[in-house]
Amino acid sequence: MAAAPPSPLELVDLAFTRSALAELVLLAVAGGLLSGWIVLRRLAFFTHAAGTATFPGLVVAEAAGASPRLAALAVAGGYAGAVGRRPQRPGEGGDTAVALLLVVALAAGVVLAGDVFASGAGVDTLLFGTLIGVEAGDLVVSAVVAALAVVATVLLGPVWAAAGFDAEAARAAGVPVRRADLCLLALVAATVVAALPAVGALLVTSLLVVPAAAARLLCDRLSTLLAGAVTLALVQGVAGLYLALWLDVPPGPTVAAVGGLLFAAVACVRRPGRVA
Amino acid sequence: MSEAAVEADGLSASYGGGPALSGVSFSLAHGQTLCVLGPNGGGKTTLFRVLAGDLDAETGSARVDGRPAHLPQGDRPRLDFPVTALDVALMGSLAHGRWWLPPRRHERAAAHAALERVGLQTSEHERFGSLSGGQRQRVLLARALVQDARVLLLDEPLGGVDPASAERITALFAELRAEGRAVLVSTHDVDSARGFDRVLCLNRRQVAFGTPDQTLGREVLEATYGAEIVVLDGGRRAVTVQHHAH
Repeated sequence: MAAAPPSPLELVDLAFTRSALAELVLLAVAGGLLSGWIVLRRLAFFTHAAGTATFPGLVVAEAAGASPRLAALAVAGGYAGAVGRRPQRPGEGGDTAVALLLVVALAAGVVLAGDVFASGAGVDTLLFGTLIGVEAGDLVVSAVVAALAVVATVLLGPVWAAAGFDAEAARAAGVPVRRADLCLLALVAATVVAALPAVGALLVTSLLVVPAAAARLLCDRLSTLLAGAVTLALVQGVAGLYLALWLDVPPGPTVAAVGGLLFAAVACVRRPGRVA
Repeated sequence: MSEAAVEADGLSASYGGGPALSGVSFSLAHGQTLCVLGPNGGGKTTLFRVLAGDLDAETGSARVDGRPAHLPQGDRPRLDFPVTALDVALMGSLAHGRWWLPPRRHERAAAHAALERVGLQTSEHERFGSLSGGQRQRVLLARALVQDARVLLLDEPLGGVDPASAERITALFAELRAEGRAVLVSTHDVDSARGFDRVLCLNRRQVAFGTPDQTLGREVLEATYGAEIVVLDGGRRAVTVQHHAH
């Protein structure tokens, strides 16, 4: 039989849940805002691949005693740079290469963790996060990416919107589409790295794609889509953490599962005719 | 005499294979309109992409006075994007070089005025994707007006457009011309080309360039369209017949 539901105040009373809650609030701002651009610019697969690509880097860093955050940033940043420099624009084609990268990254990570460095015990944590073990450094990183996401949305949002709506016309008008897109890819990569402690390499899309995918079913305007995505990311994070505390299950996957349920609920109540 | 608005000299371009377009040389002055005629795959869009700076010329050169306003074909802008007609018109202000700052009051006023000019002042807050094809083209024209470009590249702006929108868009061409802007329009409609100052006929190469009287004869049209053209009334009228592969 399930335990009685804990008081919601426990989320702020206990030190480790307070840190987890703060982490989720910061990631809701960064992930919510960026998820809007990720969904509109068709970068969901890129985001998932950037998260997964960090897995072998994290394994190697852990075995070598190096900073996992720096290793993940190097891998995700390198991947974002490669995508940004290819001839196609973000979101156009390249799916096969991304799928191959996903397979190679996961296989290499598992082989390295199990057979090379014998650190298999940490694989679950790397793949699915350890929200309860969030440290002060993780909060600082998340606060920085949250601030960057807000500033970038204000300054570069109109360019990202114009490029996503009609890239040819934007480039012809002299709008710096390529540089702005590189900033977007780099920011997504940095946010993926910031989200790794909370939800791990495999579940980053739950914070960086799902909120806007759900908000898009309800919102007609760009501004409401972004605000809705941040709100849904907050609800997803807080509800997921509370449920994990109540049911004594891993919080990262619970947050991801709540995101999936939220999306399903929104899809059920959305107005007819809305573009998914 | 003022500098040309658009100039191409021995221009050719490709997408990596054989040339998509070659041997294009023409010049257009400010306050002139140019109709670019040709069959599907004839190089009209390629020419506009080169002039817009979106595709590099393989050989030769192209020069445009300032940053052109480019209206790609109607299927290029994303209909699922959550933007209103006013949002799209305001995108024209990004060309003014202050893209990192919110639109200024006079840019917002220009967007309202542009939408009014194309007859869409009551649809400002409609989602772009929910508008009709003709209304969407008018919104994109409003964006070009806000951009205030000296050169406009309009790729088949009348394709699939309702008669009311087509009439308003055609009237706008004349207004833009009167304002001293150079307007380049690609189309399949041979008859409408007679209303332009110059006509450029393309079929993966330049077939002809000149006034409508010089270019819209049976010989040039048949060289441009091949089997896709039917010339009527002894050459005074012509219709294109599109062949689609299935």
